[in-house]
Amino acid sequence: MTTRSGVAPDGVVVTGLGVVCPTGADVDGFAAALRAGVSGIGLRPATVDGEAPGMRPRLVADLRGFDLPGRLAGLPQLPETTRRAAARVAGRSPLAIQAGVAAAVESWLAAGLHRAELPGERVGIVVAGHNLTGALAERARAGYQASPAHLPGRFALWYLDTDHVGSISQILGITGEGYTVGGASASGNVAIINAARLVAGGELDACLVVGALTALSAMEAQAFHNLGAMAGAAGADGPQQRCRPFDTRREGFVPGEAAGCLVLESAGSAARRGAEPLARVAGYAARLAGTSLPEPDLRGEVGVMTEALRRAELIPAEVDYVNAHGTGSPLGDDVEAAALRAVFGPDRPGPWINSTKALIGHCLCAAGVVEAIAAVVQMRGGFVHANPNLDESIAPDLRLVGRRAEPAEVRVAVSNGFGFGGFNTSVVLTSTTGRGRPSAARR
Amino acid sequence: MAALRRRVLEVLPDLDPAQVTDGSSLKELGANSVDRADVVTMTMDDLGISVPVREFHDVRDIGSLARLLRGHLG
Repeated sequence: MTTRSGVAPDGVVVTGLGVVCPTGADVDGFAAALRAGVSGIGLRPATVDGEAPGMRPRLVADLRGFDLPGRLAGLPQLPETTRRAAARVAGRSPLAIQAGVAAAVESWLAAGLHRAELPGERVGIVVAGHNLTGALAERARAGYQASPAHLPGRFALWYLDTDHVGSISQILGITGEGYTVGGASASGNVAIINAARLVAGGELDACLVVGALTALSAMEAQAFHNLGAMAGAAGADGPQQRCRPFDTRREGFVPGEAAGCLVLESAGSAARRGAEPLARVAGYAARLAGTSLPEPDLRGEVGVMTEALRRAELIPAEVDYVNAHGTGSPLGDDVEAAALRAVFGPDRPGPWINSTKALIGHCLCAAGVVEAIAAVVQMRGGFVHANPNLDESIAPDLRLVGRRAEPAEVRVAVSNGFGFGGFNTSVVLTSTTGRGRPSAARR
Repeated sequence: MAALRRRVLEVLPDLDPAQVTDGSSLKELGANSVDRADVVTMTMDDLGISVPVREFHDVRDIGSLARLLRGHLG
């Protein structure tokens, strides 16, 4: 029974969520912060090294106060063996690994997988992210230059992005298929798509999708800043007003530090285990723009939303909510607004639209996973979160949520992820509760 | 030995400090190959010494490791 293989014609569902983000230490905390419109964006201390302090990126939504042992100690249902394994494997690991472990453990418990209902080889892990260790390398370099002989040998493991795969699989006893995938800022959706395929194709019964915390090194952050992609810290507004997706005064993105984890599972496996499906992965699409550049791609953005809905057997009018890529980039938001207009047409009111990046910054490689979690949380909570800095919309014809959350019945959600280098992705999530699958989908 | 003991307990947090004796080996205490390398480099860093990797080949237990490291102290 548990070692069966073959496709999962009954679909792929979400059975667990876990998150560590600037506004929430877990999914419940994140949900409350989304509902209240809490912003996690602040200022780094002014840098004293180098020249031109006014030209340095200082805005960030960071993970202040995160503590893995404390977090795990607060989970009474966590088996002691798992807690000890986490302490042993990741007790001294970099922040990104520890945050990934915390999110993975939360989703594992939420899905009920700690009850050992699935053999390890039927569970896999796909980690969203690449180039995750720049900040770690930057910190290690000073010690290395002072004395190469004292560089910890463990750095040979820590510098690998795949340390997420190894660490989490060891702690949770995952022995099915696993790897990292990359798609720049679309990495999260690329990982969701890969994991959904593994589950739908019968390779796995369940797959963890880990959005890896992307802590930019100072040099990497400066490069985004110098490229003109990042919002500056100057101006009359406070830091929390500087990330302004779809507002006329937007300047660019603000980096955010978060890790998230979704458990994707075949509907059949979830039913056999009695695990509650939280949402369904109803459709997805990914397309390249055929470019090495950061420019957004209207045709590709329209294409992936349209194709993802077609695969979900839904029409645009059935979409209740779009979690936009919406980084707050001047050109990126304009193009996404045009794409949304093209997909959803002139019929009003159209779907609710917001950008979670206004609250927790752009979590880069983790963004797609964290934003899918935000979509499921809003679907199950019956609301759409605020766009707190939307004073003057660049697209008054689109139904962007205003400065307060709105009650909303979300049965069909679209989550967009676009990345430098031509990555266009869109994922469709549908509700498993309430009125269920929209009736029109039966055509 | 005190510096070594401190790093052993940091790398192996579940260990009972009483188990870290001259006659015990890191491997027997549950340290894997990467743990053992970490204990050595971290302790060398604390003591401000560098010991060539080949000199560790004769190390059998924590006592002989401590003696080797001590031998390189100024």
